[in-house]
Amino acid sequence: MENKEKSELADTSLAAELQPHPSTLSLKISEEEAREMLERMILIRAFEEKAEELYALGRVHGTMHLSIGQEATAVGASKAMRRGDYLLNHHRGHGHCLAWFDSDVNAMMAEFMGKETGYCRGRGGSMHIANIEANNLGANGIVAGGVPIAVGVGLSIKMRKTDQVCLVIFGDGAANEGAFHESLNMASIWKLPVIYLCENNQYAMSMPFHKAFNIADISQRASAYGIPGVTVDGNDVIAVYEAVSAARARARAGDGPSLVESVTYRWRGHSKSDKQAYRTRAEVKEWQQRDPIQRFAAMLGLSDAEWEAIQQRASAQIEQAVQFAESSPEPDLGTILEGVYA
Amino acid sequence: MPKPVIMPKLGFTQDSSEIVRWLKQAGEAVEQGDPIVEVTTDKVNMEVEAPSTGILDGIRYEAGAIVPVTEVIAFIRAPDEPPLTAPSASSTDSSAFSPTGAVSEARATPIAAKLAQEKGIDLNLVHGTGPGGRITKSDVQAFGATEAPTTLNKVRAVPAARRLARELGIDLATVQGSGPRGRVQSADVRTAEARQAKLSPSTITPSNVLKTIPLTGMRLTIATRMQKSAQEAPHITFDADVDVTAAQDLRSRINALLNPDQPRVSLTAVIVKACAWALQRHPLVNSRLQGQEILLLKDVNIGVAVALEEGLIVPVIKAADQKGLTKIAVDIAQAAERARQGRLQMDDLTGGTFTVSNLGMFGVDRFTAIINPPETAIIAIGQVTNRLVPDAQGQPIVRPMLTATLSADHRVVDGAEAARFLSDVRRALEHPELFLM
Amino acid sequence: MREITYVEAVREALNQAMTADERVFLIGEDIGIYGGAFGATAGLIERFGEQRVIDTPISEAGIAGACIGAALTGMRPVGEIQFMDFVTLSMEQLVLQAAKIRFMFGGKASVPMVLRMPGGSGTGAAAQHSESLENWFVHVPGLKVVMPSTPYDAKGLLLASIQDNNPVIFIEHKLLYKTKGPVPEEMYTVPLEQSAVVREGRELTIIATSVMVNRSLEAAKQLSEQGIEAEVIDPRTLKPLDAEPIISSVKKTGRALVVHEAPKTGGFGGEIVSVIVESQAFDYLEAPVRRLGGLDIPIPYNRNLEYHTVPQPETIAAEAIKLVRGEY
Repeated sequence: MENKEKSELADTSLAAELQPHPSTLSLKISEEEAREMLERMILIRAFEEKAEELYALGRVHGTMHLSIGQEATAVGASKAMRRGDYLLNHHRGHGHCLAWFDSDVNAMMAEFMGKETGYCRGRGGSMHIANIEANNLGANGIVAGGVPIAVGVGLSIKMRKTDQVCLVIFGDGAANEGAFHESLNMASIWKLPVIYLCENNQYAMSMPFHKAFNIADISQRASAYGIPGVTVDGNDVIAVYEAVSAARARARAGDGPSLVESVTYRWRGHSKSDKQAYRTRAEVKEWQQRDPIQRFAAMLGLSDAEWEAIQQRASAQIEQAVQFAESSPEPDLGTILEGVYA
Repeated sequence: MPKPVIMPKLGFTQDSSEIVRWLKQAGEAVEQGDPIVEVTTDKVNMEVEAPSTGILDGIRYEAGAIVPVTEVIAFIRAPDEPPLTAPSASSTDSSAFSPTGAVSEARATPIAAKLAQEKGIDLNLVHGTGPGGRITKSDVQAFGATEAPTTLNKVRAVPAARRLARELGIDLATVQGSGPRGRVQSADVRTAEARQAKLSPSTITPSNVLKTIPLTGMRLTIATRMQKSAQEAPHITFDADVDVTAAQDLRSRINALLNPDQPRVSLTAVIVKACAWALQRHPLVNSRLQGQEILLLKDVNIGVAVALEEGLIVPVIKAADQKGLTKIAVDIAQAAERARQGRLQMDDLTGGTFTVSNLGMFGVDRFTAIINPPETAIIAIGQVTNRLVPDAQGQPIVRPMLTATLSADHRVVDGAEAARFLSDVRRALEHPELFLM
Repeated sequence: MREITYVEAVREALNQAMTADERVFLIGEDIGIYGGAFGATAGLIERFGEQRVIDTPISEAGIAGACIGAALTGMRPVGEIQFMDFVTLSMEQLVLQAAKIRFMFGGKASVPMVLRMPGGSGTGAAAQHSESLENWFVHVPGLKVVMPSTPYDAKGLLLASIQDNNPVIFIEHKLLYKTKGPVPEEMYTVPLEQSAVVREGRELTIIATSVMVNRSLEAAKQLSEQGIEAEVIDPRTLKPLDAEPIISSVKKTGRALVVHEAPKTGGFGGEIVSVIVESQAFDYLEAPVRRLGGLDIPIPYNRNLEYHTVPQPETIAAEAIKLVRGEY
């Protein structure tokens, strides 16, 4: 895949960029689009693996929350959105940030290394990546931190009377935060154009789903707020795409928020310091057999050569990003006080 | 085992003595009880005796050194023991550490030496309580804690006062504080500045100085005590012109009856006796102010000022009220002699309840003396001169007169009482039969 | 000039701001038909409609989050927290999101929101409805903290806060709502980060916030009768603080007394004292800098206990006298 040019969003007028009303659009994806989605998933995987490697080599500090194994949710959800829509995501958000419009692998890698050329000028790091220009309002280091913010974004869209929609992505753990309930309630009473996408990877750090919930599906909670809820196979990129698209259509039609639960699995530990004593290797292996990328590639009938080519392209992009990041300058100490107040 | 010779404590408030001179040298044999070194404190010279028989060795301080009391100054070793190397090697001190600089004479543990160095404390001044008199860390700490503040920063003053003092070039240590707990406020600094301006000291250029005399020893003691007395005791002064005809007559008649070897009764002796008589009648003048209490004292001990080259010294005539004139005369003569020879003992100088200062021999008519603390009063006697005075009929006659000036502490004594006392002194001098009754 | 009450001044500011800028909207509990628990938004829903005067469920985190999300995406929300005490339920959103978003995102985003709240004691509302938590917010980089003490300042500072592109915590005082003062009818702003010398004096400087400004002025009258002229300074914006007038004043008087309602321990007073002592004013001090604050207790229900929990004009005057007469 050639490098996305950021000039694709040259025209800043949102109205001109929006597609025709989604409810009239067939949800069918073209062959070309499907391949783009696969490439994107592979890029995300490559990025995550590289990030993991760099961390182990000490070239990235702090910690990171890898989303390896969850690529289908990221790509499927983003595919359902339109340029101009808003994204709020969470700490395990590298994939979501990469899947979003106009994402820049270089800027992401540079941010990981704390460089001035990073998305956040090195001040944010892994958990706080944001691309404001593309309306990616940021990953969030607080579980459910972005969920109440989605209410404000939804209100803002309604007040400005635009065709935008807010996609807020959070995990199973967030569904138990008080703020989650406040937010869903408020979005429901005001019929805000918000898609609540719960990426249920079945563990909130070490807390398994079945211990934290007395219900079988998080989507059941939607009924508590009188909004539609659906659970999909999060490792099926098309299933995710269809569910989020439907939710977006609802929002655009003025019918308010929806709750989409995307069931997936994270292959790695919660963070870099997680020994994963709370689950078995067998379980992990079992899920790895259901690799969403392999699955989609098989579904598309990809040849080995094509597969190789995509892998090469992804690797090359990542390598270039690493070089870019490592050769980028550190923030100037003299600018340490910048960026607090507007 | 060498026996240490320590600097003895000679008075309650004494905390250090100066070595005047060694009477024996290192390596010299001494007998127990032999005086081996002469020391001085305030104005009294004392001899320190050898605590045992043996060889004097390990002398740590030379003449002129000021040594804290109970500090080891030398050792007496047995003749067969190895010589001690000055300044400080004793067999118990195997790990003696010699700090650098001026403190190399003292023995201290390495920690103590380091601490002393950090705090700028002269180890020579620190008393060691460790084995063999070694200075330990706690010794240094204790010394640091008791050391009187000498730097500007220890003065209690508000920031505004400090700034002002800096700007005006005023030494904060000299400013009297009016704030809470005696704190110096900026108003106090301004007051001090105004006062200084009034005094307008002339600048002294070095070429203008004939000789520099350090304020030490006896001079320093007098300066300190007199300043304290002047500052703390509000002095009221009274003059009385006394006709000494009768007193002189009494003297000459007594002296005529003395043996040649007996000291003559001086006018001063008669004055002492007259004062002693008056003090008995005015106990408030024979007193001492201590804290919030005035102590009326039983004994009448009168100090008689003796002028030495170095300064005024005041040996005390004990129980002057109970001694006859001749005894008083003897006491005065002996005290003066000892004073001139520098052999006054502590006992000679303490316990006074009143002072007589007769400077008439220097040709002054009258003067005002500063009270000798902790006494309540002092009388200053001027020279005897023949003066024209009216007789009972108002006709001018010539009489030998002197002027006595009483200075009394107004905290203890009011004007009336002081005046009554002085009046009695005059009466006794003009009618000496009074102190025979 | 006409005089209106503090709460009327707040309402007027909101009214004028919403009229002038359609991006401004209000959100909070009971601010619609009810008009706000203290009447600050009375009549506004009638004028601007429920789209711009939004009643919320009891969801303080949601209110804060709504303000943040709206501010991030082009609006200028003014949220209301009914009692400052309840802001504790919004702390995560305010401290970890609103305050930090701009910095974490490398200065590429901003959160132009205002969160209004009445704080303070004196109404018998007891411990959980009488808080003074301003110092918590002063302590969080990225927030601004404003505490007006007069109707004039309330209107001017609120308008300025709405125009400010940063998250502003706007702390009103319940006891001040009914106080009257001259307020211009037109729109005007009082700059943030600007202290006001509300009374000139000679013998000492009193630095006070919110209702303590009024009490200090009361005390100043009593002091004047005793020949002590107190200079009173109201910082108005606690963060960022305009320290210069305070420093100049203390240089002039040599004595400083800080007065606030919040408990003395760990209160904003400590910050003012430190600012003074670290400044050039130090060299002009004639006495230690003193603080008066609330007792280190929750606000009691009993009226008399409540009264004595916080500084009052007579205690302020007594402390000032001690300071001036050299008892410290």
